[in-house]
Amino acid sequence: MANNSILVVGGGFSGITSALEAAEVGYEVFIVEKNPYLGGRVAQLNQYFPKLCPPSCGLEIQFQRIRNNPKVNYFTQAEVTRVTGAPGDYEVTVKLSPRHVNEKCTACGACAEAATTELPCEFDLGLGMRKAAYRPNIFAFPMRYVLTKEACGKDELAKIKASCVYGAIDLDDAPREIKLNVGAVVWATGWKPYDMQRLENLGAGKIGNVISNMQMERLAAPNGPTGGKILRPSDAAEPKRVAFVQCAGSRDENHLNFCSYICCMASLKQATYIRERYPKAQVTIYYIDLRTPGRYDNFMKKVTADENLHLVKGKVAAIVEHAATGDAVVTVENAVTGIKSDERFDLVVLATGMQPSLAGATVAGLHIDEDGFVTSAPGTGMVASGCAKLPLDVMKSAQTATAAALKAIQTVAGR
Amino acid sequence: MAEPVRIQPDLKFVKELQDVGGESLKKCYQCATCSVACPLSPAENPYPRKEMLWAQWGLKDRLLNDIDVWLCHNCGTCSDLCPRGAKPGDLLGALRNMVYRKLVAPTVIGEWMSSSKHLPKLIAIPALLYLFIWWLSTGLTIPEGPIEYGKLFPGDFTIDPIFGAVFLFVCACFAGGVLKLVKSFQDLPQTFAVGVKAPPKPTLVACLIDVVKDEIATHAKFNQCGKDNSERFTGHLTLFYGFAALAIVTSVVAVAHWGGKILPFLTPMGHTPMHLTNPVKILANVGAVLLLTGLIYLTRRRMNADPAKSASNYYDWYLLGVIWAVALTGAFSELLRLAGIPTLAYPVYYLHLVAVFMLFAYLPWSKLGHLVYRTTALVYARYSGRLPLAHPEEKTFSV
Repeated sequence: MANNSILVVGGGFSGITSALEAAEVGYEVFIVEKNPYLGGRVAQLNQYFPKLCPPSCGLEIQFQRIRNNPKVNYFTQAEVTRVTGAPGDYEVTVKLSPRHVNEKCTACGACAEAATTELPCEFDLGLGMRKAAYRPNIFAFPMRYVLTKEACGKDELAKIKASCVYGAIDLDDAPREIKLNVGAVVWATGWKPYDMQRLENLGAGKIGNVISNMQMERLAAPNGPTGGKILRPSDAAEPKRVAFVQCAGSRDENHLNFCSYICCMASLKQATYIRERYPKAQVTIYYIDLRTPGRYDNFMKKVTADENLHLVKGKVAAIVEHAATGDAVVTVENAVTGIKSDERFDLVVLATGMQPSLAGATVAGLHIDEDGFVTSAPGTGMVASGCAKLPLDVMKSAQTATAAALKAIQTVAGR
Repeated sequence: MAEPVRIQPDLKFVKELQDVGGESLKKCYQCATCSVACPLSPAENPYPRKEMLWAQWGLKDRLLNDIDVWLCHNCGTCSDLCPRGAKPGDLLGALRNMVYRKLVAPTVIGEWMSSSKHLPKLIAIPALLYLFIWWLSTGLTIPEGPIEYGKLFPGDFTIDPIFGAVFLFVCACFAGGVLKLVKSFQDLPQTFAVGVKAPPKPTLVACLIDVVKDEIATHAKFNQCGKDNSERFTGHLTLFYGFAALAIVTSVVAVAHWGGKILPFLTPMGHTPMHLTNPVKILANVGAVLLLTGLIYLTRRRMNADPAKSASNYYDWYLLGVIWAVALTGAFSELLRLAGIPTLAYPVYYLHLVAVFMLFAYLPWSKLGHLVYRTTALVYARYSGRLPLAHPEEKTFSV
């Protein structure tokens, strides 16, 4: 049966945008999001570049548009498991994981206080802990708690249930499967930070004071594990010497065989996080080529005018831990001077690249290239949006999201 | 303002380099991972990033005068970590191949040694030579009686004069090559450490001793190279000592034989074939076993190497092939002689002579030339201060 509604896989910035653009011209849309909240990677940021405004600016407007538009339906903790059919008539199977907290939740936080089990916080990329009953983040949409039931014992669950005066804790919530009939599918599955464990010469994620750029966002964010203070993980000391290692996994055929596009700007941006908090800190960015396209060049010029910011052309190819202090020692050849040296830093940030979330996955009917990016094939109702399509910044993600919405509409229009 | 530098790229040279093993050099984007990955590369002007750039730009003079290509022992760690598959390790190998090809006159041999299409000529020279001798001695027939290779190829009149001449020829070529190589190194830009009192310059002898100890006898530097080097290290060291043993055997036989003409008591020591319990024969057999063992290790490593990370080229296979031929024909000459099968033993010995000729007569233009060129470069690198001495001379100064 022909259907003119649209499925959007992924509720990050591009997914939300695609959904809203289609909904606001009258199409029914379904967003399927794996996390318990919408907003994706953007929600984890401290600031956007180049204007350095917080991500709530932008996300808040999008959430408001979702609330006000009855054509937008969304599922969180949901995953698409199967897509069958043809353009104009797809049947999609969605698996819903139990949240154990129903819509009566007022986000009062009593359940989290009652919970005793602590787990590494996914939202903070393992830098902090969260309770078994938790609010995914301070800006969560939907604003509703989540309970990781399998991590708790019977007594604890009973206490958590008893703590909720609204009757919002639902211990009987179970995994469900639903079927959606749609005419087109927008893949806005986004990206994940490249796994540091695979960067063996850069410490394989085992050196305490070597963190990823996304972890740096969480350290700098006011809603992060340190309340926005940038402290190094090993001893919570204020870093005085910080290095950024560009192309950590990107532009490398042994890892990600493409430029992740955002990391140079992200590191320049993060350099400002450090410099505004620590006026005496020295920051060094090690790069192969500093890629700040278009108007971003202005941002680069502004940031690099700082005399405490040093740019060194040369890729860091080895990092080891300084045993006594926990410092990180990076080895690099400065390709301009031809000097190879070991440099000690309090904190090292790996500008890990963007790996498409679908890397290694196979979805029937969907074209995924060898790097994991979705390639929209003409004639199918499958369209890629945002970083599922190619590495992009937030602004360009939104642009591709609008384009994807239009393509999806072209598939379903008139059915 | 700085003087503008006019770069005159030699595009033909770039092409040649790509042909002798550096075909991926254009993929390099100068990230400098390789210089860091290399455990042997010095801190100042490390290799191989700068070589990659020079190769892309076709800076022939710099590359051909570059001592650093000899400091590399080709473990391939740089190529493993290279993000673009540019194979810097292979490029340094290609540059060494270029030296084998061009350094020593007559360069026509270098040309012939550079490609398999000239291999028939290289085989034909010794093949015809020894066939001619065989024709002279027995009219190409298999002699009766106990197997003695001297019946076909009388040592005093055929084997020794030919190999003696080859030996002198090779020595002369190497002498010219070493002088040329050192001269090219002297043209290198010098590094001066300002404000630092330079350590006293080591003597040439001290440098040579250091190289023999640290590089040749123990392969210590070779072993530092790379992450998992055991197969290469074991193979190369075994092969080296196999050759060393066989060189001693050959020297003993030659000295005893020719020395015996003056000091008759030496003669019996040089008489071949030797009994299997003769210490010299034991050493010879041990050498043969070492040679074969080393060959197995090194050949297996090349066969299993990931072509995306390191490609073996004609220079690699020529050398391995010839050493295999020498070792196998040598071993079978002995075994067939002991088994008493003359119809096979004599032809195999003939092939052995052809293979040995191919190993030694073309040595300055083959990869085995590194024996001399690398030693020269490693000594000079220490002498000029490019590399520190592993065991600095102990000097006491009284104040």
